Amino acid sequence: MPGVYIIPPARRFVRMDVGIVLWTSFLAACLASLLFFAAVDPLLLRDAGPAAFRHIDREEGYALGFVFFWVIGSSASALTLLLLRMPPPGAERPKSGTP
Amino acid sequence: MSASPQSTPGDLPFYEAARKIYPREIDGRFSSLRKAAVVALLGLFYGLPWLSLDSHQALLFDLPARKFHIFGLTLWPQDFLYLAILLILAALTLFFFTALAGRLWCGYACPQTVWTELFTWIEQWTEGTRGKRMKLDRGPWTLEKVFRKTLKQVLWIGLATYTGYTFVAYFVPIRQLSDQLWHLSLGPAATFWLFLYSLATYGNAGFLREQVCKYMCPYARFQSAMFDRSTLIIAYDQQRGEPRGARRRGVAARAQGLGDCVDCTLCVQVCPTGIDIRKGLQYECIACGACIDACDQVMDRLGSSRGLIRYTTEDTERGFAVRIVRPRTMVYAALLLGLSGYLAYSLTTRMPLIVDVIRDRNALYREVQGTQIENTYALKVINLDHGAHAYQLTASGIDGLRVAEPAEAFQTPAGSVSNVVVRLRAPADRATGVRRITIAVEAIDQRSIHVTENTRFIGPTS
Repeated sequence: MPGVYIIPPARRFVRMDVGIVLWTSFLAACLASLLFFAAVDPLLLRDAGPAAFRHIDREEGYALGFVFFWVIGSSASALTLLLLRMPPPGAERPKSGTP
Repeated sequence: MSASPQSTPGDLPFYEAARKIYPREIDGRFSSLRKAAVVALLGLFYGLPWLSLDSHQALLFDLPARKFHIFGLTLWPQDFLYLAILLILAALTLFFFTALAGRLWCGYACPQTVWTELFTWIEQWTEGTRGKRMKLDRGPWTLEKVFRKTLKQVLWIGLATYTGYTFVAYFVPIRQLSDQLWHLSLGPAATFWLFLYSLATYGNAGFLREQVCKYMCPYARFQSAMFDRSTLIIAYDQQRGEPRGARRRGVAARAQGLGDCVDCTLCVQVCPTGIDIRKGLQYECIACGACIDACDQVMDRLGSSRGLIRYTTEDTERGFAVRIVRPRTMVYAALLLGLSGYLAYSLTTRMPLIVDVIRDRNALYREVQGTQIENTYALKVINLDHGAHAYQLTASGIDGLRVAEPAEAFQTPAGSVSNVVVRLRAPADRATGVRRITIAVEAIDQRSIHVTENTRFIGPTS
């Protein structure tokens, strides 16, 4: 049958999915940190930012930036995965409990 | 419809469970080449941080100070363009060689391949040959098994930790790092990266191995875009090899209705990604050439000619000549040459001095002694050179324009920034309205270092 989606819409996230999401966003975060911090000194950001961040040093700034990019990237990856898994319009819902 | 096929896959595992691959040890032309690459590349990786130049570490990416030291060249955030060009050059080189010779990178130079090779050597040394390793894994936990497995883990973890230590040494001076490690006073950032890189080495080279290439590597997925019919690939000669099978000795294979392949499966046993090259080109193939070495040995023993499995191209197989000069390779080559030429040119003509001029925002101008107009500027002088320099200012653009402050040359240490207040004076009768002037900064000990900046000089409107 052509055009039939074999990816089940309600499939749970498996370990491998988590791995792929974290891995692709890790690569993206590496690149983003490299480009961003080549142009921007974290100390300048600290001085412009809220008082809670006043005593971080450069290395902590890099680390925070990297984690920030990683979180943003993995959110985008996970959301992409989720949306790709939505049932296509008019698809029949698999009945739970059927053999 | 209750038994429709699309309602069942949810219960099936989505990915095939990875089976452990036991690559058979192999010697030969391409294995020797890879061993040479492992020694050379890992030698560079482990050795480079120990290299010193002018009592500094020759290769050091000093992130806390935002300075990259690369063999006598110091790159600042202002030099980001060079870093970007270097990265683009690396990517282009990869594309060029992929178009020319296929997965050369994967088979011989990729860190994944190189470290996996090293970890496999340790495995072979502690657990033995392929057959012994498989038997050991199947067998019960005897004292010998515990000993061999423990020894392997100890060596693996030791090597991985040393690798993590070397990795951090590219960012923290290695002697300082050794000192801090010895006194257990390593900072949290360095400790974190040391453990992360050790863990990554241990996991990737010890356990994940071919799965990194098959599931994680982005390059493995898009390298086929660089391939064409003249790209070097590894292929099994189906025409010559089939029908495969065991044969009686002393009778020509053809007379028995057989091809040259004796179906010894050595090519499958030596494959680090566990594929059968006789099924044709597959994306899992990292073009390491282990199957070629294995097959050549068998062909030698049988007295047949080598090359049943060989490096070849699609064009060769179809009877066409291989074109090394073709649009794809020429475009990559031209881009490579152009960019590296530009990089070389701009690095050799790079001025180790940056000057920023900002006009004082508080006052347009000031009258001095009734006959002179004075403008004030903030000068930011960045010395990118290895040594300290004394700089002298000159100004031009209006007759009689002179530098009132600083009266003498000022010193800027190597790799530092000087913020200099500059007062320029011009005769009141000539300095009317807005005039364009030029401020020149020159190192008095080295006249070739000089920079000119344009700015404005404002006087009363006449």
